[in-house]
Amino acid sequence: MKTNISIAATMLMAPAALLLVLGVISPWNRVQAATQSEDTIEELTPSMSYEEYQKRYEKYYGDATARMAEEGNPADFLLDDGKELAGTVAGSKGKSCASCHGKDALQLKGKATDYPKYNADLKGIMTLPLQINICREKQMGAEPLKYESYDQLALTMYIKSLSNGLPIKVSIDGPAKPFYEKGKAAYYKRRGQLNFSCAICHVEYAGYKARSNLISNNKHHADHWPSYRLKWGKTGSLQRRFRGCLKNMRAKRAAYQSEELRNLELYLTYINNGDLIQVPGMRM
Amino acid sequence: MPQGIGKIKIRLPKTIRKGQVIAVKTLITHPMETGFRTDKKTKKKVPAFYINDVSVYYGDTLVTHADWTIAVSANPFMTFYLKADKKAPLKIVWKDIKGGVYQKTVQITPQ
Amino acid sequence: MKKDDFSHARRDFLKKTGFASVTLLSVSALSSIIPSGNLKVGSWLGPGEAEAAAAPENIRDKLKATFGDRKVKMSDVTMKVPIIAENGAVVPVNISSDLPMEEGNYVKKIYIFVDENNDPFIADVELTPANGKAALSLRIKMRKTSQVRAILETSKGALYGTNKTVKVTIGGCGG
Repeated sequence: MKTNISIAATMLMAPAALLLVLGVISPWNRVQAATQSEDTIEELTPSMSYEEYQKRYEKYYGDATARMAEEGNPADFLLDDGKELAGTVAGSKGKSCASCHGKDALQLKGKATDYPKYNADLKGIMTLPLQINICREKQMGAEPLKYESYDQLALTMYIKSLSNGLPIKVSIDGPAKPFYEKGKAAYYKRRGQLNFSCAICHVEYAGYKARSNLISNNKHHADHWPSYRLKWGKTGSLQRRFRGCLKNMRAKRAAYQSEELRNLELYLTYINNGDLIQVPGMRM
Repeated sequence: MPQGIGKIKIRLPKTIRKGQVIAVKTLITHPMETGFRTDKKTKKKVPAFYINDVSVYYGDTLVTHADWTIAVSANPFMTFYLKADKKAPLKIVWKDIKGGVYQKTVQITPQ
Repeated sequence: MKKDDFSHARRDFLKKTGFASVTLLSVSALSSIIPSGNLKVGSWLGPGEAEAAAAPENIRDKLKATFGDRKVKMSDVTMKVPIIAENGAVVPVNISSDLPMEEGNYVKKIYIFVDENNDPFIADVELTPANGKAALSLRIKMRKTSQVRAILETSKGALYGTNKTVKVTIGGCGG
């Protein structure tokens, strides 16, 4: 009991110090002002321009990641295995991805650019990994792949890589609009013990440091997933990254492909419309 | 990260001029266990298991040889340079401490 | 619950954060001073005398055992490492040099050392004139924030070296 209390006290003080450093405890900021009214949230652009952020990034980290990506990305192995998986027959109907989508599923070229998108059957937002699993279940009669498993990441990566070099063009017209609004609300919603929101860090304090890490601007956040990440020493998806942030906010972590994370993915991908897809990515 | 041990990728420039110094980029899958890590399920130390010897042959001659320890990252990656002055195979051999030998040969044809 | 518990926790917390900021300061201050000229390998323990005293015992022994009392020249070697590594298990290191690579006068070996690792010796790579360029890229593991040292040995027996600090920040803010 005694040790528990002292540990708890230390844990409470550390976030408080962090909040002070970040200036979140300071009385007022733009994000707070934007989220005052509950119905509409004002869209904000990050306090620091992307160019300025990039300058800081280069000054702080140097060209280490760029150089590494050029030298060789460990995620290339997944790409090869994903190609193989696309041609592998699985399930009760004796089909593979290639049975419907042509050799090596090449007919899916460019198809990943408008994901995530609204799906009527789902009455919600369809993401690429979810689509692959639904395809497997309905068309192939196969087991869905476990999220973040090796095979799942490999197959998603291969299919997304067929759209490499094409700009993201996610639509939020019509039935997707309410889900976009929900995703935006999730982006600006404060949560967790630290009372952070995505926007606090990536809009208001982008380009500043939190625990010796440079906080990134919200540009180029959605174009390179699944990506190899140095911190993980592994390849992971955008939703794994979301969950990592949620954990650091001391917030409840939504499950993979849950409605909240899919809406958030729609919002984030939409604001990154126009970025060229580059899979597999390689990043800090 | 990738499944299996000993999958290899070797990258060379697309076109090679005779006498050009080229970068050879190599990647191999290997866990590179340090021997300090504890398995989360069995609560036992995972024994050390790593590549300790890399040899590069250009034609018949040994051009580069590396000694590695546990402190080289998992799925080791190495870039080195080579003067491409003859048409010959480039053979790279990795050896680990449990006797595993992994090798791959690529052809170098300078134009 | 006694009153002591909280005051103890606070003291502990202050001690830790105070210590952390002091070490950060000293590391950043020292890393800006780059040694120059000839140094005995045994005395090449960091950019200043203060750090030489603090350098762990085993790196001194290791350098001495490998190179004896030979002198190392602090020039002709470029090493690129990230300032911050969020994951000490993957730290990209890039070493290059323009030293000649011709018959009879070439870089024979490239060594990499990390001071604070249990075994400071990371790897050595033997080169021949057929390589054409003395350069190497490798990804290494680091136990904690430490100096990374690269030493080049030529076929004539001369030593060239450089060193840089990499901060390993496990538990940084990136999820």
